Amino acid sequence: MALLQLNNLQKNFATQRAVNDISLTIEQGQIFGLLGPNGAGKTTLIRMITGIFYPDQGEIIFDGRPFDPINDVAYIGYMPEERGLYKKMKIGEQTLYLAQLKGLGKAEATRKIKEWFVRFNMESWWNKKVEDLSKGMSQKLQFVTTVLHEPKLIILDEPFSGLDPVNADLIKEEIHNLARKGATVIFSTHRMEQVEEICDHIALVNKGEKILDGTVQQVKQDFKENLFRVAFNGPVLPEHLAIHLFEVKEKRDNSLILQRNEGFSNNDILQYFINKGLGIESFNEILPSLHEIFIRLVQDTPTARQFEKTN
Amino acid sequence: MKKIKLIIQREFLTRVRKRTFIISTLLFPLLYLALIFGTSYIGAKSKANLKIAVLDSSGLFDRGRIERANATDASSQLVLVKDNADSLQKNFKAMGYDGYIIVPANTSVETIPHELVMNTNRTIGSASEVQSKLNTIWDELKYEKLGIDDEKQKTLSASRIQVKPENVNDRKSDSRVASTMGVVSGFLIYFILLVYGSQVMMGVMEEKTNRIAEVMVSSVKPFQLMLGKIIGIGLVALTQFLLWIAFIFIIYNVTKASGAGSSMVSGMVGNVQSVFLSVNLPVVLGCFGFYFLGGFFFYSSLYAAIGSAVNEDMREAQSLSFPVTLLIIFSISLMTIATSDPTGPVAVWGSIIPLTSPIVMMARIPFGIPGTVQVWELILSMGLLIAGFIFTTWFAGKIYRTGILMYGKKPTWKEMFKWAMRK
Repeated sequence: MALLQLNNLQKNFATQRAVNDISLTIEQGQIFGLLGPNGAGKTTLIRMITGIFYPDQGEIIFDGRPFDPINDVAYIGYMPEERGLYKKMKIGEQTLYLAQLKGLGKAEATRKIKEWFVRFNMESWWNKKVEDLSKGMSQKLQFVTTVLHEPKLIILDEPFSGLDPVNADLIKEEIHNLARKGATVIFSTHRMEQVEEICDHIALVNKGEKILDGTVQQVKQDFKENLFRVAFNGPVLPEHLAIHLFEVKEKRDNSLILQRNEGFSNNDILQYFINKGLGIESFNEILPSLHEIFIRLVQDTPTARQFEKTN
Repeated sequence: MKKIKLIIQREFLTRVRKRTFIISTLLFPLLYLALIFGTSYIGAKSKANLKIAVLDSSGLFDRGRIERANATDASSQLVLVKDNADSLQKNFKAMGYDGYIIVPANTSVETIPHELVMNTNRTIGSASEVQSKLNTIWDELKYEKLGIDDEKQKTLSASRIQVKPENVNDRKSDSRVASTMGVVSGFLIYFILLVYGSQVMMGVMEEKTNRIAEVMVSSVKPFQLMLGKIIGIGLVALTQFLLWIAFIFIIYNVTKASGAGSSMVSGMVGNVQSVFLSVNLPVVLGCFGFYFLGGFFFYSSLYAAIGSAVNEDMREAQSLSFPVTLLIIFSISLMTIATSDPTGPVAVWGSIIPLTSPIVMMARIPFGIPGTVQVWELILSMGLLIAGFIFTTWFAGKIYRTGILMYGKKPTWKEMFKWAMRK
């Protein structure tokens, strides 16, 4: 079942169209990667989903019903990229305050905070102030305050920035845990290797429009260029390569990267090498990384989009 | 509603628990008292007892009279000298005098008293003691000349007519007490608007610079956040004010109980009692509470809007809040007019228009309702202030909603109006 469905969302600001006709469906339990270059409209889109902005057009269906910003925010946890906490406030009180604003009762909130603090080795932090924490520590705290009220939808904007590998793994583990328990996660980032590692499904937004939407595997298949890496047990000679089946992209002593030509199959190529008497050690397809796909799709975008006028 | 309550609670508790709140609550009255008593003490201490040489060529001011005058009034000292004018002018300092007066030879009781010049190296203002002493002697001379004996003198100086202004509608009120009370309440509100208004502004700026604003508005509506902050800080101001009133009553009762012996203390207690009697205290306090809260809501929502619009730079905040601060200062200048003429048009309209009414009306109320302040004026003023703060809060809420998530260039007032007009 779809937890979140966006239908033709549109949002204009005085000088630009920030989000233009975006539709998305996010299934319950999915870890969804929302990608896009700076200024693509991701934050505006997220702010509409979190009830901070109202869309100018289109509708948001949350958990099967039209989104009700006043009440549904209790089921959403949002960690913005520009994060912040009250610096002068004690950590325990602050976490309690934010949890109560999400509708938790005091006793329940206290119990949950204690659980999370134990899990993240933060028990001793209760009476410390936020200003005493390092950047990575406050990042962990921010994550706890985001997921504490067990939201159905968790929106994380660059959750790993500023975290060391150990803590990044800790958070990653928790994201998977939460998804397994049924929470839906929207994960917004520029770090493509993290997306490949964590997300099931991605959408790419550019200039306020959705330009790509699908599972990570599907997107890679869609953008593959029929590149293969072939390794041999002996040297490859130039006369082996003069053939209409493929084009050689890169050649080393015992291996090749080649692009298969239109109208031929992998078997045709393998058959050809076998007939030539070459011993094949491996034959692998090279799928493009999300990083490459991302760059290919958005590299022509002018960086100064905010100065463009709406038509 | 539950969320607003939580926000109010946080804003209130974090401020009241701060050391600065406790210190300023205790210190402000102490500093205020120190200021009042300190200045009068320093004033009394620095007043010089002038020693003046009198060179009398007329022979009217003889040694006996001058010594008698010196004996009854020690605030200055006159010394009769026999010298010539030129050497006195040159040497009076060396002779140990602060100045000298020359009484011309043709002076007589019939002639209208001249202006005598006191040549001195001291400040001009200190001649009054010398003048009154010379006049005492001068009166004696006139009485003798006219043959008025002690008996008649007593009759002459026994009584004077004094005119006391009294309001026909409110015989109890004492205009001197009322205007003092008016000025004090006006200044208190002025102080609260400026201090706590800028606290609201700083609080909003803190949320913006700490980047917690976006986290907050994903849980609560921006308007709730703003309103919670304003109410929370307003309650802090109210708490501080109530504590001060409690202090005053405690100090008053303690001094009343302990100071029966000392005439100075009982005099002060008497003064305070006469203030309490001449002013309708519950009404004044009630109105103070209303105008204090009304003015606070009116202005602090504007300060909140400004805080939401600027970035961390204090200078930006100052330049944007300058027009608002100016309005509050303008109210104070209207207040001084209102206390000297509490029924004049400036006072009446100043106390009705909500921009200035919190301060100006509070300056008029101690003069009496309905004596000075007509009932319709009070109702209109209160109604307009309520309407006014509902409007500014609504207006500020619109700006706040946009401003709190905006980073970058400082907006102009014009841009902020545009934000407010957007749906």
